[in-house]
Amino acid sequence: MTMSENESQPVAPAPPEATPAPPAPAAAPVTTINRRDMLTLLLGSGMSLVLAAMLAEPLEYLVRPLVGTAADGHGAETGRKYHWAMVIDLSKCVGCDYCVYACQATNDTADDHRWNIRVDDETATGTVFHITRPCLHCRNAPCVDVCPVKATYHRDDGLVVMDYAKCIGCRYCQTACPYGARVFNWADRTDTNPRSPEWGEPEVPRRPRGVVEKCTFCIHRIDAGLARGKMPGVDAEATPACVNICPVQARYFGNLLDATSTVARIIATTPTLRLREDLGTDPSVYYIPPEGLI
Amino acid sequence: MRLQLPSSRVLFRLWLLLLALMLAFGLASAVHVLLNGLGVTHLSDHLPWGLWITVDLSSIALGAGAFTLSAAVYVFGLKQYEAIARAAVLVGFLGYSSAMLALFMDIGRPDRFYHPIIYWNIHSVLWEITLCVVLYSTVLITELLPVVVESSRRLQRIKPLVRLAHGLHRIMPVVAVAGMGLSLLHQSSLGATYGILTARPVWYSPSAPVLFILSAMAGGIAMTLLATLFSSYVLNRQLVPANIIDGVARLVGYACLAYLYLKLWSWAATNYYSHVPEQRLGMEILSENTPYNYTFWFGEVLFGAVVPALIMLWKRLRDNRYAVMLAAFMVIAGLVINRWNVTLSGFVIPLDWTPGVRNPLPVNQYEPALVEWGVAIGIVAYSWLAFTLAVRYLKALYPHAEGAAPALADHTHDAPAAPPPALPPQPAPAGGD
Repeated sequence: MTMSENESQPVAPAPPEATPAPPAPAAAPVTTINRRDMLTLLLGSGMSLVLAAMLAEPLEYLVRPLVGTAADGHGAETGRKYHWAMVIDLSKCVGCDYCVYACQATNDTADDHRWNIRVDDETATGTVFHITRPCLHCRNAPCVDVCPVKATYHRDDGLVVMDYAKCIGCRYCQTACPYGARVFNWADRTDTNPRSPEWGEPEVPRRPRGVVEKCTFCIHRIDAGLARGKMPGVDAEATPACVNICPVQARYFGNLLDATSTVARIIATTPTLRLREDLGTDPSVYYIPPEGLI
Repeated sequence: MRLQLPSSRVLFRLWLLLLALMLAFGLASAVHVLLNGLGVTHLSDHLPWGLWITVDLSSIALGAGAFTLSAAVYVFGLKQYEAIARAAVLVGFLGYSSAMLALFMDIGRPDRFYHPIIYWNIHSVLWEITLCVVLYSTVLITELLPVVVESSRRLQRIKPLVRLAHGLHRIMPVVAVAGMGLSLLHQSSLGATYGILTARPVWYSPSAPVLFILSAMAGGIAMTLLATLFSSYVLNRQLVPANIIDGVARLVGYACLAYLYLKLWSWAATNYYSHVPEQRLGMEILSENTPYNYTFWFGEVLFGAVVPALIMLWKRLRDNRYAVMLAAFMVIAGLVINRWNVTLSGFVIPLDWTPGVRNPLPVNQYEPALVEWGVAIGIVAYSWLAFTLAVRYLKALYPHAEGAAPALADHTHDAPAAPPPALPPQPAPAGGD
């Protein structure tokens, strides 16, 4: 109580103190600014400016790791070496679902739980085409923005990854993803892998009940491969399973920051599209359109 | 006018029995979900939020009476509303604790409920909401503690507790301002949860946060009003003076009008005047697959806001207690329907990310599973039971109730009189007496 009174003192009765006749608080509405007020004002604003300038840098330094900056997902400017990207050639895709099955075997996902899916769509002229969709690893990923606990985040190499140990299972990322790329572990897994061993062996442990998961671009292969001097997109053991298995070689993978990589060359020379480019999510998956699709 | 009912003791026991049954149903459902995971619900990857999120959003909104009426008393100096502000704080606390229960059930890893407090993503509206809800619940407990202490002779014998309660009473204006800030933040952020999602045309809208807070103000005050009037009716005792009820009812009416104003413009801009194909297609899908058109126009607009606003603002209707109770109920029902509609509408319409002309993704349907109803009913029973017991045992809950126990009522009259002067009487024009 006393505190708030003390605080209010200098604000309200200031004018009477400044004017020569204090007992006229009712006449206060006529505001006059005298020299002392003016000086206080100038000095005050000057000091605040100086203070703001002084504090700007340390404050920014403090806030940046919390807020994250544009450099989060973008990045040649930060001197990064890799940005993993995928090109999917829809004019080649025959809709065989091999990539879907290889992904299920490798990442150990059930049939109603696929990370990589195929749907059929058609062009304006009525030609049916097949489109497969992994996680697009957006540079401005809505899922990363909305996660309350930073359980999903951008890695320096462009991957959008999950920390299963942090995820609380609120499913806001599922709600926010424009591509439906995220799946939730609704129950404990008791099934046997439906695609193994025909399409490969599970290479990652199963995720616990109650967390969200999604395509990782086979992050375990990328990391282990690079550690052994293998190049993802070039050496099969460092490359995502879906890319290796494709019988018509409709999928390419590689480092976008290396101008000589296959993906960088395709993107530089061929017209490609990305899904819902209007949303500004800036995905790392590029599609070569089928004939007839603008 | 009053119906001839069995003796009040019998009725009270029947009421407790009903609540016990509801709680048992809720508890059994909760155990089932916690043991077996969310797979036992009817939620899916395409429609991951449902009834529980509706319960969560609704109970937070219906708890908004706490911040509006506390602000009226402690910030705007409308001292006379103290007569109902304490009940509003209680309703608020019950609303927020219900919401936390619903969220606890709804997250996949309830064992990690505290993660948002340790791992911060200040980008996320959901993180901000979680922090605000936690902090605001603390504010509500702070506001409620003096009421509990004043109500109990036994607690009043514990001197440090009494001193704490008195201290809390003194800083109440500060607490109320903090509560108002927190509420203004998260009540609107709940709308932003949907409003910022660019990929869902029926959600993506700058009006969503404001619509949420306006409807929460109307619904929150209406909830406190209905709980008070209904308790008065059951106890056959006036808990809050008639002129205060009158003022609060009018407040609900004005809040409804403000809500309607923005709601209609929002609708006009995104539907009536818009030819954006995604928006159009979305509304078509909704009206073909769900009763959205009817629930929106009749549930949310006509009976949820227009009719109650009329009742609350028309003196002759407002003078009738039953009409006010009915109107308050309509506002509450309209708000719950709105939260359901908002949540479901965005999910029912399938995402459209494929580059062709055919949208190959199916429309998503949802109907809550029995366990989902069970948990929801259990949560409702919890808040009803807590309110019932509070009205029965917290003597200081309604400080101006007809025939309030004199010894204790004296305390309560002294205490609340103290804080307002603490606030420098800036709004010089006598506080709207």
